[in-house]
Amino acid sequence: MAAANYLMAASVAVVSGLDRTAFLQLMISRPIVAAPLTGWLLGDAAAGLLVGSMVELLWLGRLPVGAAIPPDDTQVAIGSTMLAITMGSRLGLSGPAFIILSILVAMPLGKVGQLFERWAREWNGKLLQKAGDALAEDRFRAAERAHLWGMAHFALSSLATFATIVLVGSLLLHELAPVLLRPVTHAAPWLRVAFPVMGTAIILSSINVRRSLTLFAASFTSALLMLWLL
Amino acid sequence: MENAKLPRIVLVRVLLRSFALQASWNFERLQNLGVLYTLGPALRRMFRGEELAAAYRRHLDYFNTHPFLASPILGAILSLEEKKNRGEESYLGVQEFKGMIMAPYAAMGDALFWGGVRPLAAGVALFFAARQSLWAPAVFLLLFNLPHLWFRLIGFWRGYIRGLAVVEGIQRHRLPDLAIRLKEATVVLLGGLCAYLVFLSLREEGFSAGWGMAVIPLVILAGRLARKGVSTLLLVLVMSTIVLFFSFSG
Repeated sequence: MAAANYLMAASVAVVSGLDRTAFLQLMISRPIVAAPLTGWLLGDAAAGLLVGSMVELLWLGRLPVGAAIPPDDTQVAIGSTMLAITMGSRLGLSGPAFIILSILVAMPLGKVGQLFERWAREWNGKLLQKAGDALAEDRFRAAERAHLWGMAHFALSSLATFATIVLVGSLLLHELAPVLLRPVTHAAPWLRVAFPVMGTAIILSSINVRRSLTLFAASFTSALLMLWLL
Repeated sequence: MENAKLPRIVLVRVLLRSFALQASWNFERLQNLGVLYTLGPALRRMFRGEELAAAYRRHLDYFNTHPFLASPILGAILSLEEKKNRGEESYLGVQEFKGMIMAPYAAMGDALFWGGVRPLAAGVALFFAARQSLWAPAVFLLLFNLPHLWFRLIGFWRGYIRGLAVVEGIQRHRLPDLAIRLKEATVVLLGGLCAYLVFLSLREEGFSAGWGMAVIPLVILAGRLARKGVSTLLLVLVMSTIVLFFSFSG
């Protein structure tokens, strides 16, 4: 059963990883989609939804423009969900606090995703030579096939990031959960709201809209007042 | 329609292949192999022998644009390649057209889709997530992919039919203005979302909603730090440590 869970989550990691850049870009790679999907496959969609809603806004302002490689929030979301469900069941822990702890452990590990993706893009550079050689011999379909090899590089990069998050995250959670779970349980209601608020602040800093803070403050204040009065 | 010469099945193959435009994205020439792969079936249909080899080599040049706005460009390239095949003159060659159009379209696409549509769709979906509704992912996918797929399908077709004139069509839609409106809507929506989440937390913990106003200076401070280059990871970890400390000690 555990092996099947790892296999299913790894499949989501690869498909979503391809969706990020290489293929389709239907945005199933966004945390708000990928995490609930992983959770649903592993039997706890609600855990995935909580992960997705907390991670979604954090790096949304980092645009995949030109040669920039944004942090891999896809694998952070999928890895956090996987850790929350599998490690939770192994350690006999569940609930929002353990899910939040899983996110906190997975987030720094997600940094390796940028490294793996950089390698994938560098390997893709070698495909240029392959395609050029094929064209020199008038093997047109071989030149086209060289392009498709890039997908394998992106898939491997996603899988490597996911594996790093899950393997190292499992070890870290095993050690940290007994120490940190109590304070995280106390802070869970505040952390649940702090993540999207922090994500919003980061988006506002980069959204390039005149008077964005005024618009945000006006909208926030009027909505809060209405909720308070109603 | 009078310009359309390629069979529909070839056009459909090209369109489907355009979804893999970035499969071999590389630092040297970015999406160039993607263009070659996408146009392959049409080029093989149009050219033979040395002309075909030359057509393939034309598309080995550097190319980079927004993947969704690449569709009208790819459609227009097909139209230009057809003209070339028929021996008709065009005031812009294929490479000149690609070189001229890719950067402005990249900027428009980035602002519209990555900066406008995606955050707006995420903001709406997060309201559903806040209510623990599993419709959240479906709402996000629907809101994002309606304009996405419209641009890809219709853009490609119009690019092919109109050729170079597709540029005027895109200009008429005033996409940069639309991107700004969407971003403004996103800011307002995020204000409402934060207020809703803060209100729920305060009520759950038995605090007055008035304390929620403290979020505004926090957002301003975090935004300033982010603008000064402090990473998201560091901001989140520091914020979590502070929240953990106060929650546990208080």
